[in-house]
Amino acid sequence: MSISEPDLKNKGAIISAKLGTKQAIIDILEKAMDKGIFDAVLIPMRVPAGDSFAYVLIKDKSLLKEAFPLPPVMSVQGGHAVSSVTRLGKGKTKIAVVMRPCEIRATIELSKLGQTNLENITLISIDCPGVLPISDFLSDPKKSIKLFDDAVQKWDDKIMRPVCQICDKSSMITGDIHIGTLGAKKDSFFIISSSQKGNDVLDKLDIALKDSIDSWEAKVKIISEEKLKKRKKNLKELKSKIGGIDNLLDAFSQCINCHNCMRVCPICYCRLCYFDSDKVKHPSEDYLQRAESKGSIRFLPDTTLFQMGRMMHMSLSCVSCGACEDACPMSIPVAQIFSMVADDTQGLFDYVSGRSLDEPLPLVTYKEEELHEVEDAND
Amino acid sequence: MKKEEEFMPKILAFLCNWCSYAGADLAGTSRLKYPPSILPIRVMCSSRVDPLFIIKAYLAGADGVLVAGCHPGDCHYDKGNYYTRRRFAMLKKIFEELGLESDRLLLSWVSASEGTKYAKVATEFTEKIKKSGDNSVKKEIFL
Amino acid sequence: MTKALKINKNSEQGVLELLKFLLESGKVKGVFTLKKISKDGAVAYSLITKSDELKDAVPLFPLMPVNAGKLLSRFTLRGETTEPVAAVVKPCELRAFMELVKREQGSLENIFVVSSTCGGVYPLKMAVDGSIDKNLSKYWDAVKKAEIPTNLRSACKGCGEFKPYAADMTVDLISKNDIDKQCLIFLNTEKGMEFAKGMKAEFLEKELDKGKLDKFRSKREAEKKKLFDEIETKMNGMDGLIEIFGKCIGCHGCMRVCPICYCKLCEFESPDCEYKPSNYEMELKRRGGLRVPPDTIYYQLGRLTHIGISCVGCGSCEDVCPVDIPLSIIFKKVGESVQKMFDYIPGKSIEEKIPLITFEKEEFAEVED
Repeated sequence: MSISEPDLKNKGAIISAKLGTKQAIIDILEKAMDKGIFDAVLIPMRVPAGDSFAYVLIKDKSLLKEAFPLPPVMSVQGGHAVSSVTRLGKGKTKIAVVMRPCEIRATIELSKLGQTNLENITLISIDCPGVLPISDFLSDPKKSIKLFDDAVQKWDDKIMRPVCQICDKSSMITGDIHIGTLGAKKDSFFIISSSQKGNDVLDKLDIALKDSIDSWEAKVKIISEEKLKKRKKNLKELKSKIGGIDNLLDAFSQCINCHNCMRVCPICYCRLCYFDSDKVKHPSEDYLQRAESKGSIRFLPDTTLFQMGRMMHMSLSCVSCGACEDACPMSIPVAQIFSMVADDTQGLFDYVSGRSLDEPLPLVTYKEEELHEVEDAND
Repeated sequence: MKKEEEFMPKILAFLCNWCSYAGADLAGTSRLKYPPSILPIRVMCSSRVDPLFIIKAYLAGADGVLVAGCHPGDCHYDKGNYYTRRRFAMLKKIFEELGLESDRLLLSWVSASEGTKYAKVATEFTEKIKKSGDNSVKKEIFL
Repeated sequence: MTKALKINKNSEQGVLELLKFLLESGKVKGVFTLKKISKDGAVAYSLITKSDELKDAVPLFPLMPVNAGKLLSRFTLRGETTEPVAAVVKPCELRAFMELVKREQGSLENIFVVSSTCGGVYPLKMAVDGSIDKNLSKYWDAVKKAEIPTNLRSACKGCGEFKPYAADMTVDLISKNDIDKQCLIFLNTEKGMEFAKGMKAEFLEKELDKGKLDKFRSKREAEKKKLFDEIETKMNGMDGLIEIFGKCIGCHGCMRVCPICYCKLCEFESPDCEYKPSNYEMELKRRGGLRVPPDTIYYQLGRLTHIGISCVGCGSCEDVCPVDIPLSIIFKKVGESVQKMFDYIPGKSIEEKIPLITFEKEEFAEVED
């Protein structure tokens, strides 16, 4: 029986995980490496000091036992990691990538932007409970890991980052294979395939997709709806707080132009950002003239221009991963602001970033009849 | 059998085109014997060697890095090697401050006529690195 | 004897008085200083051209949102300012600007520098939660007594270079115990005297109290030694470096805020640091695994060799690090060790060449084979 039959689309495999989900995932990956399905695995590992996690491209299977498929922090957005390995081509190594759904979505956006090559990559996502703010985590890594584990058990997002608390796409399947922990019986989880590549891999692993995933789907639906409700409420509040030019300027008044948000953003792939380029370096007379017209200007000026420019450049692909907010030394709620804007801009084109490789980026396509509401009604 | 097991280090050598590379060439044409541990890279001047090259080589797992150029005062470009010496001194200092093995880095002056000196430098540096052993950085994952 | 200006107001008010005078008398066209820019009290550097805007200025606020040397460089990058501008900056910011001018990234022409003996600044984190305002009175109490205020950034706690070298005017904050009543501004240069002329204030012949400054310096040096000793135990070889930098998230914020890192495109963001799949395959073969994106240690070591010689120890790098790596102490310690080799204090004098673009014919024989 072929596992790619259409009537099996809503099926998955229930995997028993007596030693825990983490161990079971690692076992499957190891088996896949043994069988030569993958040559390497890209997966988070704990760093030697134990105070953080980093993506490691693993070829030596013995390292897999140190892997940490669902770390409590997002130290590097996984999209960055995939892009750094495949940006210049596909290579010969077949790589399995284990990441959170928003990281997979970023990877897919990067692929559309020509910054990753997914040909030899198998994307494996996991139901995501959110991550801790990196500063909270670092204040006591050991304790944080425990707190996170407890929170995962209860699927409780209170301690997670604000942008994770309002993420309604934390179980969104857009890669090749998904690991569903929600709605599963004790000591087990679901494996779901969502592409031909995924089917092939599971086929080779003798994992038959014959079990019902109804309970996973039901649970995901409940959680997503809850989160969506919270999202709408929180973003409405945020909009009332930062809406309007005065509030917006205030919101960004602490910005120190370090551009950390841009650097860690998986979508901002430009080698040299416009806002670091010569275009934003002006003669002193210009600055003085601008100061004179108002009595004073903040120096450097154009903080809000940078933020709004970035919204123009990347909000259509923003996956609301929250990396920007984690990296902001001034704790500006950038991720929440960008997530809010992204909802609106993506909504304009009925686009969801990273949903599908086949959907073109909205700004590189068009329809002849659309968006008449932004045109002058007299025309 | 014992000979095969012996550790033969990999030493990256940045050799200036005008003196040290010619010196190495002379060592070869004079059929002087020195260990096969040296991997030469020809640069136009020793001052072309950004300290980053040396760091990169060290992190990539080179057991030793040699920078060789014209003797002070004899630089083909007049004073390139004086800058090299300052940079090299600085890099060594940084290595020492960070507790890295600065002994794996060597600066030497070898002229085009010093085939013998080149063979001697290569031999002695190789021997020294053999004593230090394998550069463990080549196995590090979290670089 | 140096000339000094005495204003019978607290030090910050005194400086504001001076700035107001400079603007209103037309001696300068603009003033570059810290200013409250939002209703919730965010402080940022501002370029002020109208004197009534000075009401929100806080020239001595103990915060360094951005190293002002970097900002002055941006201001004069496209050519010197044709109109005179006064800048109130901290000693390390002035030194950073000098290093940038040496690198042709700015011009001192028409920049009138007002600096101060510096009590140090608080971490950016304290600006975020608003706790600087709550600590202000404690801060000035400590500075008045020439003590190190608690909760300062570690870069400031251990800073021995709190006295500016090349300022036209120096506001004395350390060697006076009545800074809350009186503002004493030393006129170090002819330009300084020229600009002070006409101001309604008392002119004195006076010197900075060297004894008091020395005493303060030894407190700072003791603190520095403690910080250095602590980091030294951690910086022991590659394992130590991996422990320290393991949590780096690669945001390069430290580089972007570093006043010395002026490159438009950093080497570590250039194609040189992008690798082909075949490069990864080779590394995997040898190591069995590799952290990606790679080059965490390479980046930090590289930055040390690129800017260590000119590191002014301003601490901006550590301030913006989202994962709290003790960068300022590492860079300061390594930086000072290489600066000492050349007897170089970065930014001390505009005439001194950066050691790496000059040489002596007989030196460093010990590093030669």
